[in-house]
Amino acid sequence: MIEFSSLNKWFGALHVLSDISLSVAKGEVVVVCGPSGSGKSTLIRCVNGLEPFQKGKLIVDGTELGGSEASLRDLRMEVGFVFQQFNLYPHKTALENVTLAPVHVRKLSKAAAEERGRALLEKVGLADKMENYPHQLSGGQQQRVAIARSLAMQPKIMLFDEPTSALDPEMINEVLDVMVSLANEGMTMMVVTHEMGFARKVADRVMFMDRGAIVEIAAPETFFTTPKNDRTRDFLSKVLQH
Amino acid sequence: MLGNLNTRVMLEYLPDIWQGFLATLMLSAAGFAGAMIIGIVACALSIQPLRWLRGPAVVYVDAIRATPLLAQLYFLYFGLPRLGILVPEMVIGVIALSLNSGAYVAEIIRSGILSIPRGQVEAGKSTGMTYLQRMRLIILPQAIRPTVSPLIGQAIVLIKDSSLLSLISVVELTRAGQMIAIDRFMPIEGLVATALAYLVLYYLLKLLAGVWVYQNRLPGRA
Ligand SMILES: Nc1ncnc2c1ncn2[C@@H]1O[C@H](COP(=O)(O)OP(=O)(O)OP(=O)(O)O)[C@@H](O)[C@H]1O
Ligand SMILES: [Mg+2]
Repeated sequence: MIEFSSLNKWFGALHVLSDISLSVAKGEVVVVCGPSGSGKSTLIRCVNGLEPFQKGKLIVDGTELGGSEASLRDLRMEVGFVFQQFNLYPHKTALENVTLAPVHVRKLSKAAAEERGRALLEKVGLADKMENYPHQLSGGQQQRVAIARSLAMQPKIMLFDEPTSALDPEMINEVLDVMVSLANEGMTMMVVTHEMGFARKVADRVMFMDRGAIVEIAAPETFFTTPKNDRTRDFLSKVLQH
Repeated sequence: MLGNLNTRVMLEYLPDIWQGFLATLMLSAAGFAGAMIIGIVACALSIQPLRWLRGPAVVYVDAIRATPLLAQLYFLYFGLPRLGILVPEMVIGVIALSLNSGAYVAEIIRSGILSIPRGQVEAGKSTGMTYLQRMRLIILPQAIRPTVSPLIGQAIVLIKDSSLLSLISVVELTRAGQMIAIDRFMPIEGLVATALAYLVLYYLLKLLAGVWVYQNRLPGRA
């Protein structure tokens, strides 16, 4: 479903992604962790073309990235992205946030988009918040709207960039629960997070990145109990403490 | 100085001041309408990625902002006839005002658009929206709010700038005031009368801005 082959990216002289090769199968959940600045965000932003790269190959859902603007748009319809800062549209209600792209990009009728939008907002536990504006919602509620907004496009892949790290601790679980149920439904997911409980529960593989490279990638049991690399062990001892 | 103002003469010239007031209002309205059109086009050109379209827009904005309006006005006043374009002074005046304010309008709109966080664009992109869809559905609706006050400010500047048209013998408010000065040799009476009329225009616009802000409060916010 997602196929990186020796992908390299630079920001000027800074080598942010070096020789990334990784293949994510349909229905697989890959959790990405690593220290700040290691290139986690940059990596998943490449997957839906938010970041260009200079060398190597990336094929997502059969489309090779780096093609025309139109093929990129077609691909983005199939790849949902959830941001750390939610990025909800502040001038639109929760329901409008969710229906905007289905109506204008998927060309759904307004009624059909609203039906789909209501169902999704109900699913993420926001049946009573459809007409609220983002600033009238808590962080956890905003992030659930953002997830519903991505799902409304009925994507084949979902990417999450630290979806809970801007949230107060008591709101983290309401968002993780939505992601867990999504994973259980068989969604293909790449999730940048330091929520190791989530990784244990639903990840098929956990990946540790440092300085733009994949240091270690393994099934959660192996990854957490017998990490091979010193840097992974060091990192895990830090994040598992709290 | 103002204590012995000859109000009788001022009242006597009221019809002329009124005519000048209307003329200034019309010239400014036309000038601002033109400035909005030019400004929106120049802004659109200056933020899109094609360099050969961006260049002319940037040069236009810089050239206008770097030179005095009076110079621009005279340039058109003497330059247009040379190109064989013979139009009434009033039209030249409106063109000058539009071209001049258009550059400032372009900058105001541009900074409004740039004030929208990058995350908004990325959210639109990641759901497959085109550039125009992102502009129309996400960026512009949010960019209008921060531009309204500075745009009204620019309209007020334009109204005051329109007094320069008196120099190419367009009859407007300032010119009407000068008539009192010339006919009756009462410059202060003329100046006070015009100043009061400009003040009325100023408060009209200020009121308009207030009404807009009130009617367009963020939904759900007091
Ligand atoms: N637009 C940019 N221009 C230049 N450098 C950038 C840009 N975006 C990111 N970087 C740099 O690239 C490196 C990787 O950044 P990235 O955001 O992918 O890290 P990250 O692993 O997501 O970190 P964090 O955990 O802090 O989010 C960092 O050194 C960062 O400073
Ligand atoms: Mg990051």
